[in-house]
Amino acid sequence: MTRLRAEGLTLGYDDEAIVTNLDVDVLDGKITAIVGANACGKSTLLRGLARLLKPRHGVVSLDGKALTEMSTHEVAKTLGLLPQTPLAPDGITVADLVARGRYPHQGWFRRWTERDDDAVARALDATGTADLVNRPLRQLSGGQRQRVWVAMAIAQDTDLLLLDEPTTYLDINHQVELLRLLRKLNTESGKTIVAVLHDLNLACRFSDHVIAMAEGAIVAEGAPTDVITAELVEKVFGLACVVVPDPVAGTPMVVPT
Amino acid sequence: MAATASTAPQAATAGAFRTTRRRRAARLLAVTCSLAVAVSALFVLTMMVGSFQLSAEEVIASVLYLRDDPSVDFVVRGLRLPTAASALAVGLALGAAGTIFQQLLRNPLASPDFVGINTGAGLAAVTGIVLLQAGGLAVSALALGGAVVAALLMYVLAWRDGVAGYRFILIGIGVALFFDGLIGYMLTKAQLSDARQAMHWLTGSVGQAEAGELRLLLGALILLLPTAVLLQRQLRALELGDDTARALGTRTELSRGGLLATAVVLTALAVAVAGPIIFVALIAGPIANRLLGPATGGIIPAALVGATLLLTADLVAVHLLPTPLPTGVVTGAVGAPYLLWLLATTNRQGAGG
Repeated sequence: MTRLRAEGLTLGYDDEAIVTNLDVDVLDGKITAIVGANACGKSTLLRGLARLLKPRHGVVSLDGKALTEMSTHEVAKTLGLLPQTPLAPDGITVADLVARGRYPHQGWFRRWTERDDDAVARALDATGTADLVNRPLRQLSGGQRQRVWVAMAIAQDTDLLLLDEPTTYLDINHQVELLRLLRKLNTESGKTIVAVLHDLNLACRFSDHVIAMAEGAIVAEGAPTDVITAELVEKVFGLACVVVPDPVAGTPMVVPT
Repeated sequence: MAATASTAPQAATAGAFRTTRRRRAARLLAVTCSLAVAVSALFVLTMMVGSFQLSAEEVIASVLYLRDDPSVDFVVRGLRLPTAASALAVGLALGAAGTIFQQLLRNPLASPDFVGINTGAGLAAVTGIVLLQAGGLAVSALALGGAVVAALLMYVLAWRDGVAGYRFILIGIGVALFFDGLIGYMLTKAQLSDARQAMHWLTGSVGQAEAGELRLLLGALILLLPTAVLLQRQLRALELGDDTARALGTRTELSRGGLLATAVVLTALAVAVAGPIIFVALIAGPIANRLLGPATGGIIPAALVGATLLLTADLVAVHLLPTPLPTGVVTGAVGAPYLLWLLATTNRQGAGG
């Protein structure tokens, strides 16, 4: 059973098609990592799945209905997205920012309720940002800031969460911390997570399913252990390497030769 | 990762968050009410002072038609109320429009005075004065048209798969400079008396209001301020960037179009009533944020700050200075140092864009 799927999906900007004729089934309750070289179309695919880009051809459907035929407000209650470089107004506090994640649960006249308070509190607790609520976002470290953005996406309280390169600009410690947080969200609340990731080793370590892309097409997909091989890495990234088991988790680890 | 998902810490977090939220709501209410009181007081005060001093009671009774006293009614309703109402309405409109522009384009410099809407109005008005010897209502109508055309022109030029804030500002500044050049050209072609009239109009003054436009502006405010309040939620989402706003379920182009149209109409009518009074739209929003806490971006508080500023500027311009001056001279004198400060500090933080 897959709630979010793309069939024959072609996406692009202006006249140029970036990804062509893709079929993707996002596995429910799993973490899927989309990997590939720069400009292979992985962010474009994610934006297409999140209805930020209209399909040229094909269809993205959620629970059997085409996204283009659903109201964007309805979609936002089920499908959340954290963009690559989200913007924040100058001086905004953590409390204010995370609260804005409740947007889809409010309407023209529907006021803030206790349920919204609870959802925000859950998001703050899950991301360990509860003691930062009164701090301005700008004063936080990169790792804290990224956790606050994830908190906003969690406050949106969606079953599916898409993240576009959530670990970029973070040091190794904060990258691992963030991916552990995603894993925790996945196991504790069964959230389906799709993330575009740059680091292959971390992608193997923290995902259940990998989609490897090159030049706008899917080259391979499946469990990391089955998919990530020396031949694939050579093909996708043009890097000569050996793949050995990660000494801690046993997942594939790419070592350049 | 500190917290586990047990109930106790979450209840504490929810409580703490609720306290924060309530404190902010209380502050918003207190600030808005204080501003409303200040605006009302200034509105009455403006009508009390002058060569014929009146008491607050006399002014209020006359404005609300509670008592008939021909001499007081003549001074209040006939002479002072139009100017006071125009300062109030223009201030509200500029304050609201300024903060909508700044939040929508995510830049403190993006107020209608800078992105070419005022200069569009100015060019149309000056052209009318110089070439057609227009006056009064015709100048206002031309200004209104000029502002709307300038806004549309910028929107079309900045459009590329939607309107991005940065491009809109740069194009706006370009358009403003282009219009400024044309205004200069018009002035060199003008008769001396026309040039004088044009320069006076370009400085902006609440005293030059015509009853017709003033009524139009008041009507627009009654319609558009509630619209702006309803669209505030969308504005808060758009502030986070288009991708986030869309992911949160905003119809971004529709919301942005509605907000821009609201702000443009308010600005255009304000300019038609009082000429291009500068800096009020630029500083009202940031002052409101100072009072409310950063990034709160309330449209009503900003509108009230705008009205406070303009009523004060009018009092200073007409009564405190040795010779009465157009309101725009006072707002310019206060606003210019703020602009310099803004440019200096935002560039230091690297957030000025």
